[in-house]
Formats: sequence, C-alpha cells, structure tokens
Amino acid sequence: MGVLDHVWLGVAAVFTEAPVATVFGLPISITVVMVALGFLGGIVVGATPGLGGPFAMAISLPILITIFGFNPDALLPVLGFLIGIMKGATVGGAVPAILFNTPGTPDSLMTTLDGFPMTRKGEAGKALRIAHFSSASGDTFSDLVLFTCAPFLAIAVEAYLDFPEKAALIILSLAFISAVVGNSVWKGVLAALFGMFFAFIGTGEDHHPRLSLGSDALAGGLPLISVVLGVLIVGEVFRALEEMWREKRATDAIAAPAASGDNRLRLRDIRRIAPFVGMSAAIGTMVGALPGIGSTLAATLGYATGRRLHKGAVRFGDGAPEGVAATEAANSAVSGANLIPVLSLGIPGNVAAVFIILATETISGFNPGPAVFRLTPDQINGEMVIAFGLFTTMVLANLLNWTVGGAFMRSMGIMVRIPKQRLLPIVLLLTLTAIYAQRPEMLSIYTTLFFGFVGYVLRKLHFSVLPFVIAFILANNLEEAVRQAFSATGADPWFLFSSPISIAFMALAVFVVVFFARGRGGQKSKGTPQDE
Amino acid sequence: MRGDPWSLGAAAVFAAFALLTLGVWIPADVETGAVETFRRRIVIGDAMAPTAVAIGMIVTAVLLAVSTVLGRQREEATPDRHSALFVVRLAAVIAVGLVLMSHTGPLAVDAINGLGGAIGSYRELRDTVPYKYLGYLIGGAVVVGGTIAVVEQRLTRGAAFAGIIASVVLAALYDLPFDDLLLPPNGDQ
Repeated sequence: MGVLDHVWLGVAAVFTEAPVATVFGLPISITVVMVALGFLGGIVVGATPGLGGPFAMAISLPILITIFGFNPDALLPVLGFLIGIMKGATVGGAVPAILFNTPGTPDSLMTTLDGFPMTRKGEAGKALRIAHFSSASGDTFSDLVLFTCAPFLAIAVEAYLDFPEKAALIILSLAFISAVVGNSVWKGVLAALFGMFFAFIGTGEDHHPRLSLGSDALAGGLPLISVVLGVLIVGEVFRALEEMWREKRATDAIAAPAASGDNRLRLRDIRRIAPFVGMSAAIGTMVGALPGIGSTLAATLGYATGRRLHKGAVRFGDGAPEGVAATEAANSAVSGANLIPVLSLGIPGNVAAVFIILATETISGFNPGPAVFRLTPDQINGEMVIAFGLFTTMVLANLLNWTVGGAFMRSMGIMVRIPKQRLLPIVLLLTLTAIYAQRPEMLSIYTTLFFGFVGYVLRKLHFSVLPFVIAFILANNLEEAVRQAFSATGADPWFLFSSPISIAFMALAVFVVVFFARGRGGQKSKGTPQDE
Repeated sequence: MRGDPWSLGAAAVFAAFALLTLGVWIPADVETGAVETFRRRIVIGDAMAPTAVAIGMIVTAVLLAVSTVLGRQREEATPDRHSALFVVRLAAVIAVGLVLMSHTGPLAVDAINGLGGAIGSYRELRDTVPYKYLGYLIGGAVVVGGTIAVVEQRLTRGAAFAGIIASVVLAALYDLPFDDLLLPPNGDQ
C-alpha cells in the first residue's frame, strides 16, 4: 500500500465512517459533526476572556472519551473535536481584543494595539473581517506546511535515528523548551526536572514500584490526566482567581462603539494586507514548528516585522489594518505547525499538542511519532491512516473557517460580558467532575487539586509550567530510550555520544541552555515567549 | 541581599528536596540500583533515572542561586501574605465543598435509616434519585459559590445562585446522557 492509498483511506475515514445524519442525500459522519462542533465551540471559548483553547480541550477530553470510549474508532471524532477547538479558539481570541480591548487569549494581546483603535474609529466590522481573513490564511498556510513536512521529517527520523539518537533528541527538545519558555533558563530546567521526577513515581521495571512510599495510590504511577490538568488548568484557575481577588475590580458595563464608515472587506484591503499576511504566516509557521515557542512570540514577531515593513498613512498602533493582519496571521500560523514535532517526533511542543498526546495516550491505537509514517509493502498502516484522517479534519476545520467562521466570530462579542470571577469556579468544578468521570475515585480529584496547587506555586514563583508538563509526559519515553540505548551499545556509559548525530544533539542541547542563560545570568528579558 | 529572595528560596527548596531524595528516599524506596547485572548483562536499574534527575536538580538549583545573586533583575510580583491568605480561604472553601460532596449522601441515608426508614445502605442507593445527586449538588454548589464569594469578598445571592445552577447543570450534563458514568462521590462507595 502506497502513501496515496493511506491518504485516501484517511479522507474516507473522516467522511464516511459512522454517519449520523443525511443532508441533501449525503451522509454526514460523526467526525465531520465533531470538527464543526469543536470549531464553533472554540470560537465561543476564544471569544470569552479568561478562557482559551487549552481550557476547552481539557474540559471536553474526558467527556469525549466517555462518549466515544477507549477504542481506535474514537480517535478521529475526538481528535477532530480538539483540532476544531484549537483552530476556533485562535480565531475567536481576536473578538474581545478588537471590540473591547480585552485579549481573549494571550496571543491576541498584539491585536488590541490596532484592532481596538479601529473599533474606536467605527471600523470594528472591518477589523474583525481583516482578523478573520488573516487568521484563516495563516492557518491554512501552516497546515499545508505540516502536511508536507511532518511525513518527510518522520521518515528521516525513523531512517537515521537509533536509540541513542532518539534519547539525545528528547533531551535536546526538553532543553530547548526549558530554555525558551519563561523568564529564567534555570527555572525552566528545574521545572522540567521536577516534572520528570513525578513521572518516575510508581513506575520502573522492577516488581517494586519505585518511590511509591508504600502507598497503593502511588504504586500505579500518577495519573497523567490528573497531573496535566492539575498543573495546566487548575493551577491557572487558582492564579487567575487570586489575581481577581486582589484586583476586585468592579465589572463595568461594556459597550462597543457604534459602527460607522466602510466596514466591508474589499479587494483593495486584501491587496493591502496580503504582504503582511504572507510574512506573518511564514514567521508563525517557523515559530510553531519549534517545540516550546508558541503563538504569543509568533504574534509579537509578526507584529514587529509588519511594523518595519509598513509605510502606510495610518501608523501601527493607531488603528492600522496591517497591524491586525500581521498579528492574526502569525498567531494562527502556529496552530498547524506546532503539530510537526508531535507527529514527526512524538514530542509535544505546546499546550494544544499536549492535549493531542493526552487524547491519543488515553484512547490508544495511535502513537504520534516517526513510526506513524512507516510504509510496509502490502499492509495498511492504521496509524498512517489516522494521521491523514487528522490532516483531513484540519482541512475541514479550515473550510469551516473560510465559510462560516467569519460570520460566527463577528456574532461573539456578547461573550465578553460573562464575568470571569463566576466563570472560573465553574470551570474548576467542571474540570474536577470531568476527571472523576474518567477515574471514578475521589483520589483523582485530590491528586488534581494537589497538582493544581503545584502549578499555582510554580506560577507564583515565576517557574514556567510547560516544561514541567512536557517533561512529565516524555520522562518515561526518555528512560525507555536510555535503557535500550545502553543495552544496544553493550553497556557503554558514553552511549549518548556514540554517533555524530547524538553528539550534535547533545552539543546543541548544551548550547541552547548556555546561549539563553548568558543574557542576564539566567534571567531572560521580559517579554520572552511564554505560551501557557 | 542582592537578587530575588523568592528565587533563592526556591533554589534552596529544590536542592534540599533533591538531597533528601538522593540520601533517603531513593535508598529506601527503590529496590534496584542505578546499574544492575541481570543474566550476566549490565543494565540500567530503576534508581538511575530519579538519581540523575535529583543530581540535575542540585546542579540547576546552584546555578539558579548563582544567577540570582549575580543578576540584578527582581521578579515583579512575588508571593506575599495576601497570597497565603487567599490560598487558605480558597483551600478552606474547596475542602468544605469536597467533604460535603463525599459525606452528604451517606449521612442522609444513615439519618433516614436511623429514623426507621430502612432504605438500605448508600452503596445500594448510589444510583438512585435523589441520593446519587445529594453530595454532588451540595458539595459542587459550595465549591462554586464559595469560590466566587472568596474572590468577590462577600457572599451574594448571585454567587449562591451561580453555584446551585452550575452544579445542577453539570450533574445533568454528566449523569443524564450516560448510564455508566458516576458523579462524585458515587464511584468510591
């Protein structure tokens, strides 16, 4: 079976399996429905200040698994929904940024700089249309790069990397994520080591579950979902609640200025913003392909580059449509490219990718990594079919974005009226209930709250939680690769330096850490990427 | 003292944790060493990974401490007594909510049995209305309403209403469509 056969099977799996309705005689599959629901839900969540794609993915994952079960047939509907949320939230984040000067997601912060001034000039409709056009363009470009790069990168990894190189590659990825995320390299590395340590509790090859303190609860290892949702979601809820508690702001009624003037997106507008969209799409895609660097940095770089290119009458920051376009194209272009390290290497590079890994680990039947794209003569590689099915869901979400996304997004201004201090406690109860639904024991709730507290403390001390979570996920893979590499090289203690490729990876890992630590003695400048 | 004291404190805590792990926890709670001989082959034992991580933590904590002392940057917002106050209040509300969630149903059943109702044990009734909802609705309402009250620094009717509505809607969302799904605390009973 060739690649094209797998592509066709992946497309067919998305459109034909498990039809739930018929429209004009055409069967509509459950995956198509889930992508649409995820996408529209993602726009709603993105348009709600205080929420974001990761919240929605975290809350919906246990519900989806309950609905679809733990069998491989669940993969495409569940992953399709998560992909839909990821894309929808990126688009939706621009709505409160433009209408109310309140970024719905961190990467929409730069959108406020020109989007809100446009609203004050009565051009909110045009600003939203430009944001949508730029976002959809950047996203589509990024997806095309993913579809072409990920399989080739995966095949190269599978062909050239053995156990020592794979172990060195995981170390390099963790070093990179630790170094670039957050304000301090050493705090990033400490967070990663701390996360890795928790992953070793209750695991190992011996019959005695290591570091389990004689507790049955720890003997099976810490549940992935409790740790990840605890640190990422509950910890963030605690931090945000404290911030609101401190500010105790009165929630004033918010009113958008009335529209006036030309609010349509015309061909001349598209021609005007096209160079900015193209440049930012390329920047966002490059940034997204690197683990640990997220859409916030992409938006910042896209905006800064756009400002240098710009020669128009309206300056950046005064309501220039090019500023909105540059930011939105860049942050949306991250969403496709950030799946490149997941699908080709099995290494999640950001929070959205963490939830994709979490879904595949929970459901089973699909292990993102280089083996996904392995071709075997006369055999169907089920994982490759799923991968191409996943690509199809991304194309589908993009089509939805181009067709109904704009109108739906423009109707979401009302979401900013939901008071955050009432929404987040509900998110907390929803998260705890969702975790209990998946592991029906109060211990899972206590574990989640404990790791929520860990996440809160790490944030308060300015430790980034992303290295913690990604290291927790990758720790056992790393240990396994190290064990196998050690055995395969005949117990050579220098196995990580046994080939030019692994030496290069290790040298690069050291270089990355030292390079980023040089600045201010490990303290990086403010505004360093922090995609959480 | 130069540098951010919270960063120095964090470095000290991580270093102490790693030293304790190396000196006490790993020797006491890991049965194979860092390297083992298994069927005349040298293999990596279970102690290798946590040992390597703990050593890495000590080295990195020292580097963090040094960079903090040598650096001039101080973190803008660090924990203070207000953080502790917030954590205590939030923890108290969540703890009360979870205790109510766990025990309201069983206590209600015990009370009815004590009054001569003879309705059976909570375990037998954990999938029966209204017992299966009691703990979740009351505990969930306290978690949500109480947390809102902590943030708003007063208990309003709106907060209580939000707590009740949220727990009812979530109970319906999880329980009505799915026969095999248990609300807290019914899986533990």
